[in-house]
Amino acid sequence: MIRRLSGVLIALTLLSTAAQAADTGTKEAAAKGATAKEAAAQKAVPRSTATSVPIPSASPVAWTAEAAPYHGSRDNITWGGEGELRFGYDVTAGVSDPSWFSVGRVNGFMEAKLSSRLRLRGQASYDHVPDDFTLERAELQATFGRTHEVHAGIFLVPLGRTNLSHDAAAYEFWERSLVATQILGVPNAQLGAGMSGTGSWSHTTPFRYEVDLVTGFDDGVIMDASGGTRIPAGRNNYGDQNGLPAAVARFAIQPGRGEVGVAIQSGPYNQTHIAGGEVDGIRFVHVLAADGIAHAIGLELATEAAAALIDIPPGLEGLYAERQWGASLEATRTLRAPLFHAWRGTSLSGGLRAETVDLDAGLPGDSRTRVAASLNLRPQPTSIVRFGWYYEWKRDRFDNLTPLAGLTLTAASYF
Amino acid sequence: MFHSWRSQSRIAFCAAGLVLAALAIVGCSNLLTTEPAPGERFDQPLAGLSNGELGDFQDGHTQFRKAFTINEGLGPIFNNVSCASCHSGDGRGVAGNTLTRFSRGTDLDYAEGGPQLQDKAVPGAAPERLPSGVDVSYRLPPPVFGVGLIEAITDSAILAGEDAGDANADGISGRANMVVPASYLPSDDPGAGALRVGRFGRKASVSSLIQQVTEAYHQDMGITSTYRPTENVNPAAPAAPGADPASEPEVSEAKISDIAQYMRMLAPPSPGEMSPARERGQTLFAGAHCTGCHTPTMHTGWHEIEALRNRDVQLYSDLLLHDMGDALADNRPDGSADGHEWRTAPLWGLRIAREFLGGALLLLHDGRAHSVDEAVRLHGGEAAAARDAYLAMPVDDKSALVDFVESR
Repeated sequence: MIRRLSGVLIALTLLSTAAQAADTGTKEAAAKGATAKEAAAQKAVPRSTATSVPIPSASPVAWTAEAAPYHGSRDNITWGGEGELRFGYDVTAGVSDPSWFSVGRVNGFMEAKLSSRLRLRGQASYDHVPDDFTLERAELQATFGRTHEVHAGIFLVPLGRTNLSHDAAAYEFWERSLVATQILGVPNAQLGAGMSGTGSWSHTTPFRYEVDLVTGFDDGVIMDASGGTRIPAGRNNYGDQNGLPAAVARFAIQPGRGEVGVAIQSGPYNQTHIAGGEVDGIRFVHVLAADGIAHAIGLELATEAAAALIDIPPGLEGLYAERQWGASLEATRTLRAPLFHAWRGTSLSGGLRAETVDLDAGLPGDSRTRVAASLNLRPQPTSIVRFGWYYEWKRDRFDNLTPLAGLTLTAASYF
Repeated sequence: MFHSWRSQSRIAFCAAGLVLAALAIVGCSNLLTTEPAPGERFDQPLAGLSNGELGDFQDGHTQFRKAFTINEGLGPIFNNVSCASCHSGDGRGVAGNTLTRFSRGTDLDYAEGGPQLQDKAVPGAAPERLPSGVDVSYRLPPPVFGVGLIEAITDSAILAGEDAGDANADGISGRANMVVPASYLPSDDPGAGALRVGRFGRKASVSSLIQQVTEAYHQDMGITSTYRPTENVNPAAPAAPGADPASEPEVSEAKISDIAQYMRMLAPPSPGEMSPARERGQTLFAGAHCTGCHTPTMHTGWHEIEALRNRDVQLYSDLLLHDMGDALADNRPDGSADGHEWRTAPLWGLRIAREFLGGALLLLHDGRAHSVDEAVRLHGGEAAAARDAYLAMPVDDKSALVDFVESR
């Protein structure tokens, strides 16, 4: 069974590779001069968000939509997509769960250049984490000055690097980090408006910023939360219930090939009135995120951490968390590129990740700690087949331990 | 220099990968977690279940752990969000989960929010506050394993242990709590009937697992069901309209049945190995006449689940009510049990109880005793003679007796 499904995954990836290889002839200009190492360096660049995301990936190389090799393009409109298939075998405390085979993510995106300064961007995704379709972008962007822009509509809030850059094909692991999925709520796209841009200090240290007013998290943070406060349950794609905006901002500097970013989102999440009657005062959720990327001794190191403060109604105190935090550290490296001399653009890479989240800092339990390893084959920079393993120590509210582990085989590709 | 570092790191990374692969080959089972040995947890199924029953067990396991959200019906007033949130690892609860029962004498005090205080509330509702002057009883959530075996013990087997008039003059006069089961119970429920022997709860005030689960959903979580379709509300501060957005009933009778069936099939943990010291402790336990209430073995009758049928059950309880003296009295009646009476607590599972309570041991109805020794010292009433016999023992004998009890 595993063998058959892995065959399907690899076949899908190779099919995608072949189709895209046929397209490379028309993209020679883009590809020409790019060595295999450069291609490998660009492996994590997410094309769907590259043009609009301030810090798109571990790599400081920013692809533009026009230069990206696998977009379709006609007149002033470019488009593309990505998909991910996932196969997994999970074990809980020595008892194997039913194996699963699922779609991880299907994503279509487009960009229309309305004028030299005006762009319309759209991106819709099915993502397995919310297990729902999400409009990740439906925004109008206007450039002013040389490096600044204003935007309005639905867009990915800049709450940490992973939310801005979470394309499956750009990622080295079978799953995003716990801090991203359990606290930051990736993918998290909200309705709002704001501005972003780039600059530099002393012409040596570039920086990027983004400041937005968005609808913010809604009362799902507690109303749809199962087993305590769950911020991702309050991500709201289309609107809000309380009519009060949340502020979100991110600032990142890029010394050398690295990056250090901090972000904050703060705003009310609850409903103060139900059926016309006042039921509560305004309550805030504050989420602080920090992320960093560094390159050292041949490794690409990436970290993301987050802390959240949630104002809980008095009737729920003690059961619903008022403080949460989490952190992850990833180390990846390209082990061989190209994998074979005759197969340019291929690479073999590996990754290790350690992470933890404490979903209720007021309790000894309600936490998850996980280690994961991944061995990845990229038949081309924009496709990946990953073999992964993870082991997790999951603690309930009593601090009772349940060990979880699994093997995964996943494949993702832009198309 | 830089290239040397890169080269070394690549070698190190490859080596780490090879080590990982080797570990995976050698100890694959460890890398994918290991199953606890049978009898070492509270949430394991009975031996001898059919495949269909194991499937039901898994369904119930999921439902038992399901944490309700407010939008799914939690509240408007409640104590906790799931069954598993009160029963640690399917064992007893912790001090923070202690329930507060109150009444005014035999009046369950519905008008003031009785018989249980719901100290949590969803937005738009207010938690209950304890009325002044009421009789209060704090209840630690009890273990839920082994309750199927208790259900399978026949009424007649429990009644056979009664000695209401203390005819044998041993100072112990246990009696059954005869209860009227809830009218909503299906007629084929093992606990249904006109007048039945109560066996569940600290005062044996419930005869049916379906009723126990239904009331826990209703009182502890604010979840309505087909059996109890009306929300539990705070009479002092009604919830705002729409505060609990889920329509009634919030769970079906099938979900209630799933959990009851799951609990029926939960096996008690295995007792510890007997050693010469424990055998001496066992003898001392019997010699002090602890077995007058903590009956080592009872026998089940017929049950729909074959694995529960006609077998010995080493629960160390006679399932009867006993006067436990003033120190433990809550002065609050429950059914026909008076304020001094408690059902004999089964001793099974004590061997691993600490593992699920953060290393502590919480004993007696409100968890006030943190050791077997402390619990015994708080015994009174019908257990006074057994307590005194224990207190008169040399230290080594006390230790042997405690070690035996804690090995059950």
